[in-house]
Amino acid sequence: MAVESFREMLKIDEDLTVKACSVAMKAHRSSDQLIQVENFSGSSSSEAVIFSFPGSGSEKDWFSDASFGAKSAKGSVFSEYLRSLGTDEAAFLNEAFLQKFEYIRKQLQDKVEEAVKGNKKIVFTGHSLGGPVAVLATIWFLQEYVKPQNAKPPFCVTFGSPLVGNHILSHALEREKWSGYFIHFVMRYDVVPRILLAPLSSIQQQFNQILNFFKLKSMSAGYESSEITNDASNFFTSVMRNASTIASHVACNLMGSTNLLLETITNFIQLSPYRPFGTYVFCTENGKLVTLKNSNAVLQLLFYSCQLSNETELQTVAYKSLRDHFAYESELKENLLGMQDVVSIDPLEKIGVADERINQALDDLGVSTAARLCLLASGESEKQKRKNQDKIDSKKPEIDKILKELESYRDASKDHKVGYYDAFKLQKSQNDFKANVKRLELAGIWDEIIEMLKRYELPDQFEGEKEWLEIGTRYRRIVEPLDIANYYRHLKNDDTGPYKIKGRPRRYRYTQRWREHEERMEAGSSEESCFLAEVEELRTRTVNGIIPSSDIMTRVQKLLGQVEEWSHHNVIGKDVFLEESTFVKWWKSLPPHLRSPYINAQVLSV
Amino acid sequence: MEAQASSFEIGEMLSTFLASTPLLSEAWRLCSLASTTAPMRFVSELIGDVGYVAFSGIQMVDVSEPASCREMVPLESASGLIGGLFHPLLSAHNEGEEPLMLQGGLLKLFFGCQNFRDQVLAVLEKSKSMVFTGHSFGGSIASLYALWLLCYLHSSSSSIPIFCITFGSPLLGNESFSRAILRERWGGNFCHVVSKHDIMPRLLFAPLLTHQLHLLLNHWHLSMASQQIGNPAGVLQVPDEDKAEFLRFVLAYLERASQLAVEGERREMFWPFGSYLFCSKEGGICLENAVSVIKMMHLMVATVSLDECIMDHLNYGDYIGNFSSQFLKRRNFMQGGLGPCSSYEAGLALALQSSGLAWQEPAATPAKECLKMARRSDRKPILNCANLAVTISKMMPYRALLGWYKTFCDESDDQMGYYDSFKQSGSSKKGHKVNMIRHKLAIFWNKVIRMLENNELPYDFHKRGKWVNAAHFYQLLVEPLDIAEYYRWGTHKVEGHYLEHGRERRHQIFDKWWNEKTALNGEGNNKRSEFASWTQDSCFWARVEEAREWLANLRSENDPRKKELLWENINNFERYASNLVERMEVSKDVVAKNSSYTLWVEDLRELKSQVQQIRP
Repeated sequence: MAVESFREMLKIDEDLTVKACSVAMKAHRSSDQLIQVENFSGSSSSEAVIFSFPGSGSEKDWFSDASFGAKSAKGSVFSEYLRSLGTDEAAFLNEAFLQKFEYIRKQLQDKVEEAVKGNKKIVFTGHSLGGPVAVLATIWFLQEYVKPQNAKPPFCVTFGSPLVGNHILSHALEREKWSGYFIHFVMRYDVVPRILLAPLSSIQQQFNQILNFFKLKSMSAGYESSEITNDASNFFTSVMRNASTIASHVACNLMGSTNLLLETITNFIQLSPYRPFGTYVFCTENGKLVTLKNSNAVLQLLFYSCQLSNETELQTVAYKSLRDHFAYESELKENLLGMQDVVSIDPLEKIGVADERINQALDDLGVSTAARLCLLASGESEKQKRKNQDKIDSKKPEIDKILKELESYRDASKDHKVGYYDAFKLQKSQNDFKANVKRLELAGIWDEIIEMLKRYELPDQFEGEKEWLEIGTRYRRIVEPLDIANYYRHLKNDDTGPYKIKGRPRRYRYTQRWREHEERMEAGSSEESCFLAEVEELRTRTVNGIIPSSDIMTRVQKLLGQVEEWSHHNVIGKDVFLEESTFVKWWKSLPPHLRSPYINAQVLSV
Repeated sequence: MEAQASSFEIGEMLSTFLASTPLLSEAWRLCSLASTTAPMRFVSELIGDVGYVAFSGIQMVDVSEPASCREMVPLESASGLIGGLFHPLLSAHNEGEEPLMLQGGLLKLFFGCQNFRDQVLAVLEKSKSMVFTGHSFGGSIASLYALWLLCYLHSSSSSIPIFCITFGSPLLGNESFSRAILRERWGGNFCHVVSKHDIMPRLLFAPLLTHQLHLLLNHWHLSMASQQIGNPAGVLQVPDEDKAEFLRFVLAYLERASQLAVEGERREMFWPFGSYLFCSKEGGICLENAVSVIKMMHLMVATVSLDECIMDHLNYGDYIGNFSSQFLKRRNFMQGGLGPCSSYEAGLALALQSSGLAWQEPAATPAKECLKMARRSDRKPILNCANLAVTISKMMPYRALLGWYKTFCDESDDQMGYYDSFKQSGSSKKGHKVNMIRHKLAIFWNKVIRMLENNELPYDFHKRGKWVNAAHFYQLLVEPLDIAEYYRWGTHKVEGHYLEHGRERRHQIFDKWWNEKTALNGEGNNKRSEFASWTQDSCFWARVEEAREWLANLRSENDPRKKELLWENINNFERYASNLVERMEVSKDVVAKNSSYTLWVEDLRELKSQVQQIRP
């Protein structure tokens, strides 16, 4: 196989990358300007606008608390995309970084609008603390301009950037297929991309000295200091110890450990929530560029590439871990524009077989045997996720077949005046029983899928797949009424409470959230498949001469409004309006002023 | 969910994880502090939110009795004296297994330290989580304290994380003890650090004589107490041939234990619990499989001198120091890549290297086998459980079919309801089909129980909601049919009544699971608005059958004393049943017009009115 160039691998021009680096370093030096904009017209490709953000700061620009300073993205500008859909878990982002981004957002927006109007390619970049701002700006640009307005997709190139968010950030970017737009350069020993693997409390003693060194160094590239040696060693050791904890914890899980010890100990220590995402480019000391994408593997490499070959190296490496944070510009000029030696270690399985180039590259990064096993385990786990998906993909035809059978059950029930919901609830005929068996078969398949999603055992892209969204929505609309019928037939509301609160299976909650996300609907607005549960609940409260409370009346009115709308959009079936159906019987029992002509017309029409 | 085939050895990675945390080094620091400054007591310290309690390694163990120190005493009899300290643990014991046994002297030691309990609770109040630790015998006390606190917190259903780290501590109890801990899901709360050659954790496999133990203990205590001054641990002043003899003696028993552990009589044998972290100068490996722990204990000391074995009991400071800084250093066992090895082989080689066994040592091959075996048997229960989950999902249609059958019975014209219809179904095709399903489900659930009792399923299987619920639902569905079947053939006339003599074990076990679950969650009992779909007392019909017999007997009984007893039984049942009916905890088949219960109630009413007529 021919050796690919950097451009072929990452789809971004080398000269643009190098330019981004020097712009990022320049922003660093003139930190009074919050955003720097520069136009670029390269030799080969079209023009681009480079946005860069300054990168120095004090302790509070890193950590908002003594631990890791991470905060849920819920309620922030990123809450819509940066979450896992089914589980509805929001990503965690570094709070200080988020605040910094919020601070410049307005200003950024004006400048970005201009560039978008000119239909120019945008590159966000930043060195050091500028990196996270560039990352957040890119995500913001993707969700505000690329997704709704089809703007040209941006690039985000960071140099020695700290980590930004947890595994859900990485998961969400993969799902949206945005990961490919992010490229992070990391010098082998640069400590900055590793800092957030340690809690502030473990490094606080030296942190100010270290930041001070960075500040002086950023102002004059030639700055050196021998006084920092001790602090550097302690700082490096603390960061490495914590990096080791999180890397080995993740590795144990990837390797399938079942020992409960792992779980117990997490109660006694602080584990970093941060995880890498996007493409990482590690720069070896001998001019190689090593790229990889797998988030877990990058985490392992962040730790293992900094291990020492013997104790005497400590001081040298620790000092280098600070100095190298400023070596990106010269490194890239030399190794990207000149003779390139770029090695990709994806797919990670190649580590196992004797691939000379990859082996050499890993040796150049100082990757030990144990580390290689961790990288392999990362690859293996990704492979397993794909296998899991293959397995459930192969069940699609079966799901489709059973859904068709249930659809014809639904259509056949129309002839009996009651619709399939009520027929199923009564369970009079053999067909109702058969439908119940089919319901259970489908529940088995879907519960397995949901269980895997909950444990993140399917590829990140799964929840973004059109086909699964469609079949999920179809499943939810046809089968959920049967679950509701079963629930109220067996009076489970007496045992456990209302269906929507206590009894609704995850398989419907998840699939509903998929649709709401895809269509950018408000949370909870695609509940059409379980409106009969609300009917059942309200039915017991509005009959038997009980005068309903105003609270109940509001619910009744809301529901009737929704039914009209859903019926209008054809997302609920006509069978709901059959003469003898639960809904119509209830509707008829309501006081006349609540009965709208629209629903009346529907009832008369079927 | 199919668990993937395992391609990684994890013992080494787990130990790397442990080594990178501050837990081991903090624990050891306090252990040595306790041994030098607080003999026979403990020291405590709050580090962050974590409360540490370290028991001194210097303890007065009662070894004066002539009986060998291998002797174990039942935990039940001992803890009965002080009011069920270990109640949750004892109730995790399965009938038919050996009782929970602990080393007598160590248990006594714990009871001797009882007055520390209030002080420990005071530390607990200030901490968000707690670590118990101790060197040597101190570790045994730490283990028992951790267990006691776990039991204590269990009954007050609070969940403060507890962790116990011992250094070179002797074994504590038997296999039942270890299993009870696993069943309570506490296996992950214990980590026993054992250095490569330390003889102490291996000692109790051999029936030692009192004076030998005395000599050893004295030697160790002296060295521990003097650690502060930095004295190198001296050498035991005993003739060389005696030392060799002693070591041969211990090793012979250790070897025998490692054979018995694999196949053989494990009763009255000491058995490890929790995880073991074996550490050497090269690193460490962490194991939880008990059989492989015993085997590794043997393999790691196969070729050493007694002096080394005795010294190593005092070397934990060096091991931990070295171990806790290993994360900084790159550790390669071969140049470059993985070469031709599979990832599993490479992992194994790494694990062996970390345990300090050289590739060419004779012990290396059995050690490799031992690690492979551990990995296999650790994974087997998980695979089995996953397979069972697949099987049970295939049983879903059966459940639906029974539900459908019940509706059919409940709504048919004869109005007998589920129980009586099945009882009288005779050779009807439907009845036959239902009976087949009943059999299939019974076979499945019996298999589940058999696997659980043979330890082929995860130890906490009976606490997993999915399975407890499934078993409970099965019971509600099928037990009425089991009862019907029993009475249909008049089995009760031969064997006695169902409740006492005919109830299958599975139902009793599922009762226990369900009761534990509901006791824990305190199921809210809302009043029902309609009859339950399934009668909530799955034995209801068996009680009806007995009540029917009482009523029949009453008519033919002449002895007034016996009559009185029968009336009492009948009235009790009547009260119980009508209460259930009133609370709608029964399904509607109970009150069907022609059900045996309805008939019985009528019968009773008739009898009562007759009695009334006789008695003016």
